[in-house]
Amino acid sequence: MPKADSISMRNIWLIARREYLERVRTKSFMVATILIPLLMGGGITASILIARHSKSSSHLVVVSTSEKLGNDLQQQLNRDTDGEMQVDLIAPPSDRTRSALDADLKAKNIDAFLWITPSTIAGARPQLDYRQGSSADLATRNTVRDALGKVLVRDRLMQQGMSGKDVAQMMAPLQMSASNAPQDNTGANFAGAYVLFFLMYLVIMLYGMNVARSIIEEKTSRVFEVMLATIKPGEMMAGKVIGVGSVGLTQVGIWMLFAVLLTATPLMSHFLGAGGQITITAAQVGYFIVYFLLGYLLYSSIAAGLGAMTNSEQELQQLNIFLVMPLAACMVALPLVLNSPSSVYSRILSLLPPMTPLLMYMRISVSPVPLREILASIVLTSATIVCTLWVASRIYRVGILMYGKKPSIAELLRWLKYS
Amino acid sequence: MSTVQLNNIRKVYESKVAVAGLSLRIEPGTMFGLLGPNGSGKTSSIRMMIGITVPDSGEVRLFGQSFHRDLLKRVGYLPEERGLYKKMKVLEQIVFMGQLHGMTSHDAETRGRRWCERLQIADAMPKKTEELSKGMQQKIQFITALIHEPELIIMDEPFTGLDPVNAALLQDTLVELRNEGKAVLFSTHRMDQVEKMCDNIALIHRGNVVLQGTMREIKSSYPRNRVEVVFEGDNSFLRNAVVEDAKEFGGGMATIKLRGDGITSHPDAQPLLAQAVANGTRITRFEVKEPTLEEIFIEQVGGNVDA
Repeated sequence: MPKADSISMRNIWLIARREYLERVRTKSFMVATILIPLLMGGGITASILIARHSKSSSHLVVVSTSEKLGNDLQQQLNRDTDGEMQVDLIAPPSDRTRSALDADLKAKNIDAFLWITPSTIAGARPQLDYRQGSSADLATRNTVRDALGKVLVRDRLMQQGMSGKDVAQMMAPLQMSASNAPQDNTGANFAGAYVLFFLMYLVIMLYGMNVARSIIEEKTSRVFEVMLATIKPGEMMAGKVIGVGSVGLTQVGIWMLFAVLLTATPLMSHFLGAGGQITITAAQVGYFIVYFLLGYLLYSSIAAGLGAMTNSEQELQQLNIFLVMPLAACMVALPLVLNSPSSVYSRILSLLPPMTPLLMYMRISVSPVPLREILASIVLTSATIVCTLWVASRIYRVGILMYGKKPSIAELLRWLKYS
Repeated sequence: MSTVQLNNIRKVYESKVAVAGLSLRIEPGTMFGLLGPNGSGKTSSIRMMIGITVPDSGEVRLFGQSFHRDLLKRVGYLPEERGLYKKMKVLEQIVFMGQLHGMTSHDAETRGRRWCERLQIADAMPKKTEELSKGMQQKIQFITALIHEPELIIMDEPFTGLDPVNAALLQDTLVELRNEGKAVLFSTHRMDQVEKMCDNIALIHRGNVVLQGTMREIKSSYPRNRVEVVFEGDNSFLRNAVVEDAKEFGGGMATIKLRGDGITSHPDAQPLLAQAVANGTRITRFEVKEPTLEEIFIEQVGGNVDA
């Protein structure tokens, strides 16, 4: 009586550990793990520096024959840039002013100067001459233009007979009150879903495909035959998915750690500003992890099946559309789920295993989802993972013995029937 | 209880019959040679024996039980196309395979070291597999198949690609394992290698068994009808009436097949020798012997070898 063959967890663990160690020890892994956060950190630091610079801390000289206009502009610029910009006023200019300013510009003592000549005709616009040195930037110029515009409008309004108070009231920036509306967390949820999507996409593309590659490698190096005579194909597949997967998770984990450290720095809070706070609850983090892992395992299993079907990297490239398509479909369905998370469509879509990880997570973030639906989605996805691995190991087992040619659909179906 | 028992196993790929009804038994403490030219079905038979493929019909029994994969823990297998993890270090690789067969890493390492010393590759242990020569890799593959002390050892073409010294080393090792009571099966297309080693053989050709039995039975069932001669001078004795077929090689060497099937008429070499002496041919060697396996094989398939 043949004994039922049980899956050995020890074998899965051994395979997974081998795959993990072999990959983690490579130079390329270490380089990517360290270099990418450094590049990202560098990029963010650079953009912070640029953002700071855009507030314009330039040194500007305003030259005006009209002392009042010059004063108004100086005050406006100080208000607009919170005093960051250094504004000197020369009013009225002497004969030598122009040549002195040109010399200053050349020597980089100043970044730019603005020469204002009021029009002799009443009510007409003044003549403007803006000169900037090589160290000045577009931001400074825009700041100056905006400030001058405000000053001129105010001037004209006053000339038309409005009181200074009225003008100030009219030109005050609009304040939109949002305090009465119930706190809406959609922005943060949306951000969370996008982070999940890009993380999954990145990791699946980088490491899901690695599962497929490692299976192809096993075929070309002919190790599979020894392995098949030793362990069960299912153990092999599961071990590979977990082992190669853990490499991806290790890398993402390290990157996330870098990101957390980076956000904790004052630089980052400066960058995000006061309004950039996203609050995420512990439950959300938990669901995020659960659905990320489920999604990752599911897509790696599909990749394992693709690897089992193909014999070379090139053939694999042609098939990776099967990985990208379901992810793309999720993105298409995302707005639908976001708008009406409890509709029948949303419920059905979020229970389809390839879409569950993203869509169910999305639903949970935006509205309460019955526990039974959450459990159903987890059970369905887990079952699909096991089935996919089973099918993949079947294809693997039979497919490798017929290497050299691409299988037809009919052959694939026949392989599934082989034991 | 036979270690291996195949009952009329058959495998057909697409339209090609790979194995057409093979039955055999391998007992513990014996060595079995599966012989045949390339493409005769040796590898297909072996793959069915260890569950890589499943026979279309017939039964595979290992250790007295119907085949199931848990039995593979007791089997050591060396595939025809060697496969090792290239980036892994030699000792790690051996330990890994040992662990997959259920050993602890400590035991696997101890035994792995002992094996490496025995096969004279101890220096290679800390190296990566891809840095080693083909012969070295083959020895490592050999060790990975034996690390868990299997009761059944199955090796597909174990000696191809090895120099004579190393081939002899592995042959001796297999004989030792056989003497320790293990059942050993190996396949080869070089029949001259196995005559000394095997207790039992099966000769297969195009998926069919053409000859099977113990080495002794097979040899004794064939009459001593071969003569090997080394001579100088006149060669007219090669056309004597008792000669069925004679092949003459350079340097005065010839092999002769005598008439007589050993049942109705017995082959006799005496007239041949008499004629040679009468003609004044100088004979430096004259040996009457059984046909070699290769000759038997060719006789069986009627010279129809498509190797």
